[in-house]
Amino acid sequence: MLVTVTVVALTFGVVARQSGLAPVEIVAMSLFVFAGASQFVMVQLLKDGVAWPLIAATVLLINLRHLLMAAALRPYFGGVSTVRRLGAAFFLTDEAFAMSIGWFRRGRTELAYYVTFAVALYLLWNTATVIGIVLGPTIGEPRRLGVDFAITATFMAIVVLGVRRRSDVAVALVAALMASALAYLGASVIAVVAAGALAPLLVLLFPDLRDKAEIE
Amino acid sequence: MTWLAIASSAIVTYLVRAFAFKMALPSALPRGAIRYLDALPAAIIAALVGPAVLVPAGTVTKGSELIAAIVVIGVVARSRNLLAGVLAGVAVVALLRLILAA
Repeated sequence: MLVTVTVVALTFGVVARQSGLAPVEIVAMSLFVFAGASQFVMVQLLKDGVAWPLIAATVLLINLRHLLMAAALRPYFGGVSTVRRLGAAFFLTDEAFAMSIGWFRRGRTELAYYVTFAVALYLLWNTATVIGIVLGPTIGEPRRLGVDFAITATFMAIVVLGVRRRSDVAVALVAALMASALAYLGASVIAVVAAGALAPLLVLLFPDLRDKAEIE
Repeated sequence: MTWLAIASSAIVTYLVRAFAFKMALPSALPRGAIRYLDALPAAIIAALVGPAVLVPAGTVTKGSELIAAIVVIGVVARSRNLLAGVLAGVAVVALLRLILAA
């Protein structure tokens, strides 16, 4: 898990640098947004010249899932002061959630598990981002070497890794095809993002298939 | 412009994280809402990646990117490894561009 985080942050640094963002902007993204998939999406949308309110709205949609994670962790923060809770919230990531919820459900109650792992991920993510920024310009001619394809490939890998049920495949295909059709017809990024926000409603239309279609 | 995007994205991301840490959500969120939130990130990213592969700049792709995309999906589905998929995709794109340009 730590290796993956390092590699993704390295890739982010390289790709963001090659897309033309200033090093200080890239560092700020990793320091203040600190959300893997969202940061790649931001690089892509900034490169496409998309307006900032739409970028923020897209990032919001991608990170809404943290509501569920924070809600699951919340019972273990019962006696913790508001300031510390708000501090802990800043470091919430999919990885920190996955690690700490496992410990908590096995009966451990020390919040140090969450804090240590979450903060370590933060330091690792930011260090690897900086290394990526430094490496970025040393990779010559991004188009010839296919480096411009790295963002697209990363997005596809994230979607494929997220597939746990058959309905996930259906949602991803519908989102991708609907968005492509809209883009082909000349629709803006707003329509593309809206297609992505509507596609998961599919899982609600077929409630009976939901459990039967579990792959595992 | 870039700074506004970074600042606003940082704020919305933090607000989502902080909200549920501080406020109690209705204890039993409807199962539909949970499934929707669960499926949302991958769907948004799929919606962004679809046009990038199939209709970059408004025209249907015939070339390297589509083949590379299929390779990435195949490699990641088999290996469950993000890095392997990205490296394979980048290598295939570079190779195909080299061949097609020659």
